[in-house]
Amino acid sequence: MDRRTFLQLGGITAAGALLAGCKSANEKLIPYLVPPDEGVTPGRAEYYASSCRFCPAGCGILVRVSEGRAKKIEGNPLHPVNRGKLCARGQATLQELYHPDRITQPLKRTGARGFGEFKKISWEEGLDLLTSNLKILKQEKAAGSLALLTPELRGTLAELTTRFMRSFGSTQHLSYELLGFDWLRAADRRNFGQAGLPFYDVAETRYLLSFGADIVESYLSPVQYGYAFGRMRQARDTVRGHFTYVGGRMSLTAASADRWMPARPGSEGVLALGMARLILAESLYDKAALAANGLHVEDLLKGLTSYDLPRVAEQTGLSQAAIAEVAREFAMTRPALAMAGEAVAFQSNVSESIQAVQMLNVLVGNLNKPGGIYPDAGSPDGPTNSFDELISLVEKMRGDQIRTVLIYGDPVHTIPQATGLQDALAKVPFLVSFSSLLDDTALMADLVLPDHAALESWGDVIPLAGTREGVIGLMQPVVTPVFDTRQFPEVLMTAANELGGDMKVAFPYPSYLEMLRADVKKHAVVSGSTDFEATWVDLLRKGGIFKPNAGQVNGYKWSGGTKIPEPAKPRFAGSEKEFPLHLSVYPCTAFFDGRGAPLPWLQQLPDPMTTAVWGSWVEINPKTAAELGISFGDLVEVASPQASLRVPAVIFPGIRPDMVAIPLGQGHREMGRYARERGANPLVLLATIIEGSAPQPAWHATRVRVTRISEKGELVTAGHPQGSYRSDLIEI
Amino acid sequence: MIGTSIDFSLVDSMKLTWLISGLFIVLIAFLAVFAFIYILPLDLRDRSPIQPISFSHKKHAGDNDIPCLFCHRYAPKSTVAGIPAVADCRACHLFIAQNSPEIKKLMTYWENKQPIPWIRVYGVPDFVYFPHMMHIRAGLDCGTCHGNVAAMERITRSVKIKMGWCLNCHRQHKASIDCWTCHK
Repeated sequence: MDRRTFLQLGGITAAGALLAGCKSANEKLIPYLVPPDEGVTPGRAEYYASSCRFCPAGCGILVRVSEGRAKKIEGNPLHPVNRGKLCARGQATLQELYHPDRITQPLKRTGARGFGEFKKISWEEGLDLLTSNLKILKQEKAAGSLALLTPELRGTLAELTTRFMRSFGSTQHLSYELLGFDWLRAADRRNFGQAGLPFYDVAETRYLLSFGADIVESYLSPVQYGYAFGRMRQARDTVRGHFTYVGGRMSLTAASADRWMPARPGSEGVLALGMARLILAESLYDKAALAANGLHVEDLLKGLTSYDLPRVAEQTGLSQAAIAEVAREFAMTRPALAMAGEAVAFQSNVSESIQAVQMLNVLVGNLNKPGGIYPDAGSPDGPTNSFDELISLVEKMRGDQIRTVLIYGDPVHTIPQATGLQDALAKVPFLVSFSSLLDDTALMADLVLPDHAALESWGDVIPLAGTREGVIGLMQPVVTPVFDTRQFPEVLMTAANELGGDMKVAFPYPSYLEMLRADVKKHAVVSGSTDFEATWVDLLRKGGIFKPNAGQVNGYKWSGGTKIPEPAKPRFAGSEKEFPLHLSVYPCTAFFDGRGAPLPWLQQLPDPMTTAVWGSWVEINPKTAAELGISFGDLVEVASPQASLRVPAVIFPGIRPDMVAIPLGQGHREMGRYARERGANPLVLLATIIEGSAPQPAWHATRVRVTRISEKGELVTAGHPQGSYRSDLIEI
Repeated sequence: MIGTSIDFSLVDSMKLTWLISGLFIVLIAFLAVFAFIYILPLDLRDRSPIQPISFSHKKHAGDNDIPCLFCHRYAPKSTVAGIPAVADCRACHLFIAQNSPEIKKLMTYWENKQPIPWIRVYGVPDFVYFPHMMHIRAGLDCGTCHGNVAAMERITRSVKIKMGWCLNCHRQHKASIDCWTCHK
């Protein structure tokens, strides 16, 4: 370098430094362009009561709003379900509102279906596309070829969708979701003659026996059960409730138990019957309860002769001593409570197994009693559909009988492909999605009419079996809508008005809000001279209608018959020789059935058992892993008769050696930058048809084979931070 | 020119003295300028940054006697004093000094629907809770912390906001000096 260049460079550096010196490093102070007119005071927060609609539990929430922006969500202390507590998923719904990849306005498909090529259109154009399509169906007398796919709905949303479909003239409304409690409703109806969901009084019980019910993670009303579990353990001075968990995989719930009994998958019913036999044989049962429910010891014992300890121990893979001990503890500690969960429900012998577990409750006489089971949970249950109805709708789509499908939710991701739903949807000429993010369903749609985020919506949220009190939680918008979106029920009402005739008559309301208010007016008690407006404002402030249970107990009795419910030998998809391991797919604490995947807080929430983040994994027992030559973090292939996928392996001692488990929720094709093509969706592995029988939702009855692929699993866990760090925030 | 190297034999001793003294003078001048910038409130980086619009507090609060709370209207009821919205500035300047170049700048921001990116001069870190309303309610003059704003062309931080400074004033006024008063 010569002198001249040196001086030139020096000059440039000096000038650069001087210029940088003039620019302030201070923060910016950005004013409003136009001050908000709603009395917003910068720096002062407002709190709004609303309800969480993330999962069906329907907890009450309080949202802190500052400068017109929602900042934080906590539980509503007045809400009888969650009493001020809230789970991580509820807290994370804030990120749904401000998700950078939200659909900002209606989209119309331009490219080939499923390739994500869309054109932004106006609401007028979008609604016009929808109504003109529906008009054509009406004109051609093909109203029955319109289908509506939704998750399980309750309250006014259920009422509105039902009216919409009925007045249009179609019966094809399917209210179904993967983790729905269809099976529990069926069991309640059969065993207690009550068409709804039961309420388990965990807080007051002294001995809890859970057959695969993961009460603190996903079962029915996890926040309520978490709270109740804490009370069962610690709220009474002299009693610490005992907890035994039966199930092949150690979930967070199982890890909280005093005793873990990893029974063979599908053998839970046999275990329950084995315990019942011991309780009856040793006269530990509640005599009065048995008589009151029309059961006779001799008859029962006769039916149970084959369920002797050695046989039950052999079938379940548990020790005789442990079974006998738990049975005696369960029968001698009153009140005691037995509950059955998904691990039992999604087997081929579901009906008898659940009945056997419910029978244990009758034997210890805890029906309609504190610390026991109340067959009727307080809140009304909405119209739901069964798995069979899903299959029949799929058949209709295949047979070209369905021409338009309106889809609310993301069934393309959350319904197993073995049902054929995805392929059948691809054949339907016109698909409309109402998703607020471009999820897998919206990706397939011809028209996307984006819904508001939960924090921008009106609505009522009726909790799922989380309380015996009558609760109608209210949702109110806490911020003005961020984008040009419209609420799903509002869009249906607009379309109905546009179509006119019967449909217009079915909706005599100017807006969904008015329909909601009319419905609330029916349920709310307008006190004295105050008009409804005052009551409405008061209800919004509290978060909904909370009717304390006046202590009435409906004396439901056992209606399951005197015959012993003998569970058939569990059947599995895939031969044991070819596919030696049982597959368990479970809703993990972060994503539920997959709807939590787009939220980065939930992606970064380590799984409580494995500490894994940002991906999918398969849990393998160390013994099995050693046999297969798999070590921690290896990439493995999991193959079922249905499909195969690749995930990293987590060597996990809390699982039976003949079982592997994959969490649900990842493996989205799209759904925003945080969920896109991350991990794998284990639902593709599941089979619905087992040994030539009719399809059934036996999500825990598929066998798999695991083979090692390479050492590059890219697994990120707290203890083993190898792999790629996909977030700037994780630096280990 | 063939070579670029300097033949030192040609530089005689007198020229060398000139060179050294010249460099010395330049150095002194630099130091003087730096000292000047440091002593006078011309600190462009931190204490008195150049703002996107050369807004004069002297003109508004001084010459025209507009009360502080006319624009910083949230101070009596919120933790933050607030700065006026662009619409608020425009409301007056639709009629006042429309032709000044700085007001034209303001109107350009408005027309582009852009907020003015003012640069913050006063601020406390996230771990400090400073409520304006409590200090206003205690009858403190804005100038106690913000200096004689009415005399400033460009806003300049007149105090060093350190904890000791806060504590001094809290002690004088018998305000709480419990840790949790501010660090909460």
